[in-house]
Amino acid sequence: PVEGSGDANCVDEILKEMTQSWPPPLTAIHTPCKTEPSKFPFPTKDTHPFPS
Amino acid sequence: VQSTEFSSDIDIPDYVEKYTPLVSTDQRQTYKDDFNAEYDEYRLLHAHIEKITRRFTQLDAQCRKLPPGTKEHQKVQEEILKEYKKMKEHSPNYHKEKLRCEYLHNKLAHIKRLIADFDQRKAQVWF
Repeated sequence: PVEGSGDANCVDEILKEMTQSWPPPLTAIHTPCKTEPSKFPFPTKDTHPFPS
Repeated sequence: VQSTEFSSDIDIPDYVEKYTPLVSTDQRQTYKDDFNAEYDEYRLLHAHIEKITRRFTQLDAQCRKLPPGTKEHQKVQEEILKEYKKMKEHSPNYHKEKLRCEYLHNKLAHIKRLIADFDQRKAQVWF
């Protein structure tokens, strides 16, 4: 329990506890499940449907 | 008070025993369904804890920039105490939530890794 104000030790403890590094979230599983690969690894055209 | 539940280093998490390397496409679907069933809960918890962590990291950075003993430094320290009190009020289960989120993170990462391994093995067979 944290009480009072200006207690430096107390603040240090809080910061130590509350600023532990937090990993970025896991991404969802996007891959298709039941089918074989829908794309062949051979490029057919130079144009890309999703320009980046 | 420390929980004794996770105190032993040699304890194997339950999901490691439950989710073994994949052998079939049906099994892949089951694993994926299990992943998705807990993914939303995981993301909500993760976002909540991330928000709190970011707030305190900001305050920590502010505090470090100011020389101790100054009025400004004191003010930020008070702000930290206030913020901590507020967090305790709004999220009394913060520690439980954090533990739960860490558990889910490890569990879902484990399932995801198994699916990725399976996909990779399958891809090697196809090409």
